Amino acid sequence: MTFPTFIALRYLAASRRRAHVALISTISILGLAVGVAALVISLSLLSGFQDRIRSQMAERSPHVVVSATRGAALDDPEAVRRLLASRPGVVSVSPAIGGRAWISDLEGKSALPVRYRNAPRESESLEPASVDAPPRARVTASVAARTGVSPGGKVRLTSSRTRLSPIGPLPVAVIFAVSEVTRVGALEKTAEVEVSERFARLLSGTAEGAAALEARLEDPAGAEALAADLTSALPDAYRVQTWKDLNAPLSFALRLEKLVIFVTVALVIVVAALNIVSNVALLVIEKKRDLGVLASLGATPESLRRIYLTLGALIGVLGTAGGLLLGITTATLLDRFRAVPLPADVYLLTHVPFAVHPREVILVAAFALATAIGAAALPARAAARLAPGEALRLSR
Amino acid sequence: MKGERGASDPAPVPSTFHVPPSTSPAIAAVRALGVTKTYAGEGAPVTVFRNLSFALEERVFAAIMGPSGVGKSTLLHLLGGIDRPDAGRVEIFGQSLEELPPRERARFRNEKIGFVFQFHHLLPEFTALENAAMPHRIAGLSRADAEERALAMLDRVGLGERARHRPLALSGGEQQRAAIARALAREPRLLLADEPTGNLDVDSARVVFDLLEELHRERGMTTVLVTHNPDLANRCDKIFSMSREGIVGRAGYANR
Repeated sequence: MTFPTFIALRYLAASRRRAHVALISTISILGLAVGVAALVISLSLLSGFQDRIRSQMAERSPHVVVSATRGAALDDPEAVRRLLASRPGVVSVSPAIGGRAWISDLEGKSALPVRYRNAPRESESLEPASVDAPPRARVTASVAARTGVSPGGKVRLTSSRTRLSPIGPLPVAVIFAVSEVTRVGALEKTAEVEVSERFARLLSGTAEGAAALEARLEDPAGAEALAADLTSALPDAYRVQTWKDLNAPLSFALRLEKLVIFVTVALVIVVAALNIVSNVALLVIEKKRDLGVLASLGATPESLRRIYLTLGALIGVLGTAGGLLLGITTATLLDRFRAVPLPADVYLLTHVPFAVHPREVILVAAFALATAIGAAALPARAAARLAPGEALRLSR
Repeated sequence: MKGERGASDPAPVPSTFHVPPSTSPAIAAVRALGVTKTYAGEGAPVTVFRNLSFALEERVFAAIMGPSGVGKSTLLHLLGGIDRPDAGRVEIFGQSLEELPPRERARFRNEKIGFVFQFHHLLPEFTALENAAMPHRIAGLSRADAEERALAMLDRVGLGERARHRPLALSGGEQQRAAIARALAREPRLLLADEPTGNLDVDSARVVFDLLEELHRERGMTTVLVTHNPDLANRCDKIFSMSREGIVGRAGYANR
């Protein structure tokens, strides 16, 4: 243990026996702990929600999409499909076929513009159950809400594509039975209809080929590696995107949200740091005589400065450790015991989720420690500048 | 001093201070040349002394006497390099303190100069042993090493038994003896004592003074001691009288 650490440790330990210094040191440590805990809890809360949003993103979006760089269709969809299917971790590959249409009830009231596409999962189940039964469709909750249809009801989907008939061009229209109303989560309000691949081709007039091929992976986290692999394997005519690229604006918004929360709540730590400044400054004044004595014994100004920097670091370590313990425990318990309930029909979640991310915890700890040491730096510099003779003369 | 450094000494710094051999009696151990010291007072600045000169040969046990406020303590601080003169220069063993950068000046103090104050000025949070070991810790010795040496010194001043007590648990005389053990920890060649007995009863004062005198002879140090006690001053080799007009030296009774 170096000489400054030796002194600083003793000052902190001994101050417990001296009421006013002890009180201020305790307040400094508690203040920092509260700040750290607040930051950990708010980031965990945000991470809890954001993790849900990200997993919904991964669930809803295709994990890897190969589309044409130019033009509306892939040059050689079959070759791309084979290439995708040959890669490990790829669970399914399907073409993306879709377009815009009007959805309405059979009387033609309450029409609504929607996007339709072939269902990425269980596409076959949307085929007609029998020869005279209508094909089926899944609609999103916002479509159901705005057209008033419910599962079992019938809707007409009128494509923007026209077909030439004896009486002139007619829009392509198909009647579907609604098989399911999908709830896609609070984050999406899109009006979408999923139909089987055959009817998507019919509505869009895409007899064969596809504008893009979509792959789903066992583990969405492997999307970037696969995309890099495909980019090098495919010619320039193809563009490869991951689910993260597709959701880039949302991801950016989530990161921005986290940054803003971090900066805002970190102000608590900055306020706690001001407390540390006054705490350490008080100790410098209190120990003025001792500083003079240590200088007379040959302590360098630098080592005197270090005593107080170390003191700041000790307060920082204690406060941060306490805050982390409090914050992580609180966040974990709140999540485990689902302590904060939510109205499920609004949020699609029964409780507020908390997720403690180790990387964020490390960031918070580093920030708190650096702030505490930075706060001690100012009074520590004053300690180093103290003229020892003056300190001894004035504190007789 | 260098020869006594153990192999485990973490900071065996070669002495860069040009100190002539202690056997040479012609060289002044302590020399102040035309020093002036002014403090910024509440209103106008207060000049403690102006153009003061003072010299002392090696191995001399000297007392400085004089009324309060003439700057005896200030002179001691200047000699020890913990205060700086506004004019003039201070040389200790031929080394001008002004010319040393702060870091080197601190090391010089650590190695060459010991301080004893009127109030023991022991650090209250530390035991007598830790206090006495402090100069070694500052020099960079390990705790065990430093405390071993400090304990030997506390034994020498008769405080071995009380080494683990904090200053508040010691009597006034004991506190001052612990302070002496701390001052002599690094075996300095110059000891500066500012009224070391001023705060003690007659008996304790005698014990402390006897100890200082013994250690002075034993270690061949140069000692400058500020005191108000003429009996004690008369036991010194040399007595300096300090007044507003300046400082005048004469031989002590012991030398007559």
